Amino acid sequence: MSNLLEVRNLSKQFSAPGGPFRKARSMHAVNGVSFDLPKGRVIGVVGESGCGKSTLARLILRLVEPSGGAVTFAGEDLLAKSASQMRALRAEMQMVFQDPYSSIDPRYTVARAVIEPFEVQGRKPDGSAKAEVEKLLEMVGLDAGLASSFPHQISGGQKQRVGIARALALRPSLLVLDEPTASLDVSVQAQIIGLLEQLRDDLGLTYLFISHDLSLVKYFCDEILVMYLGRVVEALPETNAPARHPYTKTLMDSTFEPDPKLRRLIAPLEGEVPSPFDLPPGCAFAERCEYATDICRVETPALNETGGHPVACHNPL
Amino acid sequence: MTATISPLGRFARIKNRSLGALSRTSVGRAFSSWIGKIAGGFIILLVLTAIFAPWIAPFDYAAQDLMNGNQPPGWPHLLGTDEFGRDVLSRVIYGARTSLSVSATAIAISITAGMTLGAAAGYFGGLFERVVMTIVDLTWSFPDILIALIFVAIIGPGLTSTTFAIAIAYLAQFTRLTRAQIVRLKRETFIEATINLGAKPHHILFRHLLPNAIAPVIVVGMLAIGDGIVLEATLGFFGLGAQPPTPSWGAMMSSGTAQLFLSPWVIIFPGVVVAVTVIAVNLFGDELISALDIRERLRGS
Repeated sequence: MSNLLEVRNLSKQFSAPGGPFRKARSMHAVNGVSFDLPKGRVIGVVGESGCGKSTLARLILRLVEPSGGAVTFAGEDLLAKSASQMRALRAEMQMVFQDPYSSIDPRYTVARAVIEPFEVQGRKPDGSAKAEVEKLLEMVGLDAGLASSFPHQISGGQKQRVGIARALALRPSLLVLDEPTASLDVSVQAQIIGLLEQLRDDLGLTYLFISHDLSLVKYFCDEILVMYLGRVVEALPETNAPARHPYTKTLMDSTFEPDPKLRRLIAPLEGEVPSPFDLPPGCAFAERCEYATDICRVETPALNETGGHPVACHNPL
Repeated sequence: MTATISPLGRFARIKNRSLGALSRTSVGRAFSSWIGKIAGGFIILLVLTAIFAPWIAPFDYAAQDLMNGNQPPGWPHLLGTDEFGRDVLSRVIYGARTSLSVSATAIAISITAGMTLGAAAGYFGGLFERVVMTIVDLTWSFPDILIALIFVAIIGPGLTSTTFAIAIAYLAQFTRLTRAQIVRLKRETFIEATINLGAKPHHILFRHLLPNAIAPVIVVGMLAIGDGIVLEATLGFFGLGAQPPTPSWGAMMSSGTAQLFLSPWVIIFPGVVVAVTVIAVNLFGDELISALDIRERLRGS
């Protein structure tokens, strides 16, 4: 199986310029992230809010310009593309956004929103525009009668389905899902996840799934990347692999366990996430880690494969 | 879905559509309250009066009748005559033409220029935005009268300089409002989503940003027409606007000051018309703001 997406050492540094009354500051939102996404697979990226997972998604799609690294999509070096080449390539790689409430222009009807991708790319749908709208709405499980509705007339779950229909209109091969269910009710979440699974099977899609919900990622994905403050701290090759990084273990322990017999005592994480503006030297997690030793506070651990799957820890579990 | 609709339901839908055709537009909704009806009705009446002035005015606005100067309101001069015996009613009717056309033209120029500058500044940002906003804010720091005087000094007194003075006086307002809308809209997810579809900048700007930014600008433009009428009257009062014998409300009041105690009707009627027009424009503008539900967005800029 060939890799659809290869990400190498991808980084993004944001800097706030200094002024007469403040120091210039900079932060690494994403720091040296590398992974391969084979065709047809689903990789999940988990981490708490502010860890850089949404920025990572935008760097891969070049919605935010990376500071360093490389992104190869279907053998093409994305960062070498001109603006117009990039616009054409975007048809192949689409994104579903976290907030369905603001992801459709309030002045656009459902039909116009769903057909807009063709207009933008200067393409004609295979059949008539009306037939294409109906086909796309059916694909995402929406009634064709909703085509003339405005976004404020439909529910959040329906809006997210419209967002998915828009993303699928150009028949992309890669879909980046940025917390597609985070702002929906739990019952609607399940429907959207079910729809995404079915679409993957029907259309042979490859997903990059971004979420803060580890149990959802475990259910939905084939592989998991755990991020902490801009770095990948652990790459789980399969969803039931045991955690080797103390942070992953804490995340796993804090997921809800329906069977009371299997419930364990949850040890909540001590301390705060350090400010990304002035990261301490060494491992960013060291201050909150019960296994931390002296080396952790001095040297930043690299993603290391010795003794199992890749983990960035001096004292892996 | 269609199968479940009863004949009655279908009828209700069709009836709703034809009745709702006007009330569904935001201007239609502004007419729904009685304030909106009265204010909007007055504005429509005034515009029609201005358009059909030659057929409505009982006398020629410039015809002098020195024997019948300073006549009090009565017959045949309903609102009396001025010092030259010209019919005040006819001059007020023709004055509506001057006032409305100057104010509306000026605001149209101001909106066009302001939206272009504001949209470009908000969309491109950076140094360009700072340069544009600094220049625009500079125009705001001059009093309107001073801007008018500069134009009068350059191109001489008349309606052209009045028009440009009013246009420049309101330029900053439209530029700032448009820029604020664009900056706010640019952060919306649907803009990022459309960029990710591969949209070119002009598609983002003309299909998404400007159509969503236009409603508050139109309403502020409507209110500015009211202010523009006052400014036009002020400039006319100082003799910088319409030149005789072209009637303008401001110039009529100015010429009336000399006979304030002899024939007060010469100054009172144009003054009342200016006041009522501005109040009507403002009341209707308020109704429009409620109908469009954009009070929050106007406050933001």
